[in-house]
Amino acid sequence: MAIVGASGSGKSTLLSLLAGLDIPSAGAIEMAGHSLHNMSEDERAGVRARDVGFVFQSFLLLPSLTALENVTLPAELSGDKKARERGLALLDQVGLSARADFFPSQLSGGEQQRVAIARAFITKPAILFADEPSANLDAVTGKMIEDLLFELNDSQRTTLVLVTHNAELAKRCQRQFQMRSGRFVASEPSAEDTANVG
Amino acid sequence: MWASIAGRLFWRELKRGELWVIAFALFLAVGSVVSLSGITQSVKSALQQRSAQFTAADRVLGSSQPFDDNVFAVAAGLDVATARQMQFDSMLFAGEQMQLATIKAVSDSYPLRGDLVLHRSASITSGPAGQLTPGEVWFEARLLDLLQVQPGDSVELGEARLVVGGVIINEPDAPLSVFGGSPRVIMHLADVPTTNIVQPGSRISYRYLFSGNTAALDELTEQLQPLLSVHQRWRNLDRESAIGSALERAERFLLLAGLLGIVLAACAAAVAASRYSQRHTQAVAIIKALGATTAKARLLYGSHLCLVVLFSLVLGLLGGQLAIFAAEFGISHYISDYRTEFSVRPLLLGTLTCIICALLFAARPLWQLAKTPAIEVLKQPAVAMKLDKWQLLFGAGAIWGLMWLFSGELLISVGLFLLCGLFAAMLLGFAAVMVKLARPVAAGQSSAGRLALANLRRRLWPNSFQLITFSLAIFLTLLLYFLRAELIGQWQQQIPEGAPNHFLVNVSAEQRAQVTAFTQNNNLQPEPFYPVVRGRLITINNETLQQEASKEDRSEQRVGVGRELNLTWLAEIPDNNKIIEGQWFTDTTAAEVSVEQEIAERLQLKLGDTLDFSLGGQQISTTVTSIRQVDWNSLQPNFYMILSPDVLATFPATYITAFYLEQGSGKLINQLARQMPTVTVISVDAIINQVNDIIAQVTIALSFILIIIALAAALVLVAQVQATLEQREQELAILRTLGAKYVFLRNALLLEFAFLGALAGLFATVLAELLLMTLQQRVFEMPFQFHFALWWMGPVIGIVAVSLLGWWQLRRLLQIPGAVLIRRVIQS
Repeated sequence: MAIVGASGSGKSTLLSLLAGLDIPSAGAIEMAGHSLHNMSEDERAGVRARDVGFVFQSFLLLPSLTALENVTLPAELSGDKKARERGLALLDQVGLSARADFFPSQLSGGEQQRVAIARAFITKPAILFADEPSANLDAVTGKMIEDLLFELNDSQRTTLVLVTHNAELAKRCQRQFQMRSGRFVASEPSAEDTANVG
Repeated sequence: MWASIAGRLFWRELKRGELWVIAFALFLAVGSVVSLSGITQSVKSALQQRSAQFTAADRVLGSSQPFDDNVFAVAAGLDVATARQMQFDSMLFAGEQMQLATIKAVSDSYPLRGDLVLHRSASITSGPAGQLTPGEVWFEARLLDLLQVQPGDSVELGEARLVVGGVIINEPDAPLSVFGGSPRVIMHLADVPTTNIVQPGSRISYRYLFSGNTAALDELTEQLQPLLSVHQRWRNLDRESAIGSALERAERFLLLAGLLGIVLAACAAAVAASRYSQRHTQAVAIIKALGATTAKARLLYGSHLCLVVLFSLVLGLLGGQLAIFAAEFGISHYISDYRTEFSVRPLLLGTLTCIICALLFAARPLWQLAKTPAIEVLKQPAVAMKLDKWQLLFGAGAIWGLMWLFSGELLISVGLFLLCGLFAAMLLGFAAVMVKLARPVAAGQSSAGRLALANLRRRLWPNSFQLITFSLAIFLTLLLYFLRAELIGQWQQQIPEGAPNHFLVNVSAEQRAQVTAFTQNNNLQPEPFYPVVRGRLITINNETLQQEASKEDRSEQRVGVGRELNLTWLAEIPDNNKIIEGQWFTDTTAAEVSVEQEIAERLQLKLGDTLDFSLGGQQISTTVTSIRQVDWNSLQPNFYMILSPDVLATFPATYITAFYLEQGSGKLINQLARQMPTVTVISVDAIINQVNDIIAQVTIALSFILIIIALAAALVLVAQVQATLEQREQELAILRTLGAKYVFLRNALLLEFAFLGALAGLFATVLAELLLMTLQQRVFEMPFQFHFALWWMGPVIGIVAVSLLGWWQLRRLLQIPGAVLIRRVIQS
């Protein structure tokens, strides 16, 4: 699904709440059987470690780790012993196995975002949040990143929540929610379905 | 698993240079504490060993009067073992060579405690053992070189000719002077009469040595009490503790002086840790967004600090220990017994310092870092560093804690802490005023100058750290230079042309004619002969004086001079003396005394007071009729107490005179000393050499502190510049976008650092001038002289050092092409 809206419409705030990065001042957020709004920062971190993946607009790779280490980081934090193998496989899937030992500063913007996508899928998250994943990239690279994201999303059977102001990209999602001034103003394909999103 | 991530992250951060400032700062702190403490400990134990292992007796009674057989009779009655010892300074001759030496003549039973070890060879490391017998003298090894003699050669002492037996390896009760003294000689007491050195009034110290069980010794002390005159005093055998406490004070002083460097290094560590944590805020937010808990983030980044601490601690302990070993070369020159000793205390002190610095200066930013909420991942990272009040508080607490640890005294640490605070506040005020004053000046300057000043003003608070550190480093550099190069020279210049530079002491009444003939034959202009009688001031207005000022005894009793005085009598007031109160003696004067101003103040004397002296067992009573001001720099014989001629004329006196002799007239002095072996010749050059020697040692200690402070200063600048790197990058990008050229930006940058350096240099100059002024007036008693060279040297050193360091730090930033810089800033 896609959340679309102009700058300042509240897309990113919604994403931070949905992903448990922040808690709402009022209301409730339920995800994968967890009441995020009642959980502490560390408890929400646990939920994120198990069920959530992220792809950010500015890639947000750790500059002192290699591409492979960035990919395996979430798995290693969860104590996954096969992190390295799975990381290599994912890097292969995003076409960067040859650059596994490169540092982010040695990679192009598109390559960095591909590493970020591989990182997002390593814990096999139930839900993946992507915040303007192609906004910092040129048109061709952006398109390639979008394709890769949808491809992996399909193959891993993950729920993708995409925040974007790009209408074309939003159309590729099964559902779209339009935001303005912190509120949903329209949804496609049907308004009834939106009630379940929270 | 987290450990492997932590290890990898740590290694990469280390390679990227992020942690080096913290690591180097802690290394510097540990290294300097270990070396400073270790070196003073080794010195202490060297001196203590020399003293504690060998004490020549259990009790020692000292006297300036010849041996009193009654004392030995009492001791014999109590079954207390005794030995006799005489000590005096005299010239020794061997062929053309001569040397003033300290002679100790001892009886057969010496020493009663410890061992006198003599080697019948010229080597202190090997040789057959020797024994003290009449007809032989034993030398401190360096005297063999000075006199160019070998064991078996004969030397002249007074009128006696004695054979050199060999060298002294261990002398139980040798004086423990760090700065040395005359070379030492041991001879048999039986040979003293043949030397004919002991004349009435000669300066000889007699010692009665006793040993036995404590009860007998206490009984002896009791029984001797009524027999003792004021010239006989029990000597304090507790020298090792006196030296120990002096060295403890020296260690504390050095540690506290070194602490300045350590504190500065720790500040650099704090700034670097803050920057590190600020730069990693986003990284922590990312790993938390990816599912890490606060505890895990803390483990990851806390382990970085632990590893840096471990790394720096190990290297610091090793480096400090190496410095201790290196110091042996320098110190063994001054203290022959100095051996580097391994001790755990410096290592513990170093470790404790490291932990305090790390915990209180650097831990908080990293602790706070782990608390970064995951939501920060969606925010723009902050560029400017925020001032953390808690960290300031922790830092101040740590500084005070370290001061307490090093000084061992609460009051001193509080005082010092407040003083440092005052100093920092003064410097900050000074900097603020200077920047403000410079603003109108800059208005007329190029825009690069204006930009530089604006930058300085904006970073005034962080810059004050740099100001303090560089001021201190430059101040020490200036001080070292001027102490070494200028002050001694100035002091020597103060001595008037042709002022007496050789003093003849111990001239007997009969020798006066000989000395006069000698000076006439050689066209020398001697000062008049001043008679000298040694006496002790015993009462003031019939109030008995406490002879030594001691900490424990705080009774109301007035404290005396504490030693025998050289008393003289004169009919005319000396040229360089001025009566400031009362009147000089007249013909009708009877039993009067003229007192020098400073000692009059110390003893709280006023005109009309009655002073009683004891001279050779006789007591004389005098009245104070004048108080004199004495020019101590005149290099003429000067006296605290001058008595009217009627009082002392009947006492056996020795005489002092002085004359000027051009340099290189050593042969003449040799000749004089040979003619009159009992006369002691003291040359001013020798005194100047001794002062030079002391200054050389102070310089070594100060140089060491200077190195620590200079390194810390550089470290603070590096840390501060690094902390502003992102901000500067952003500013440069904006300026570049607005069309600023490379030359303009470079000039602005250089001007900013040059101005900072000039401020630090100026402040250092003011401090150095103040201290030199105090030294000149108080220590060297010279009129104040302005040091013009200081006023350009200080600022120039500051400008060059700070500009170079700043340039070295930021040159790469300036070399980045404008487009790349702009892109980098936009991307971040």
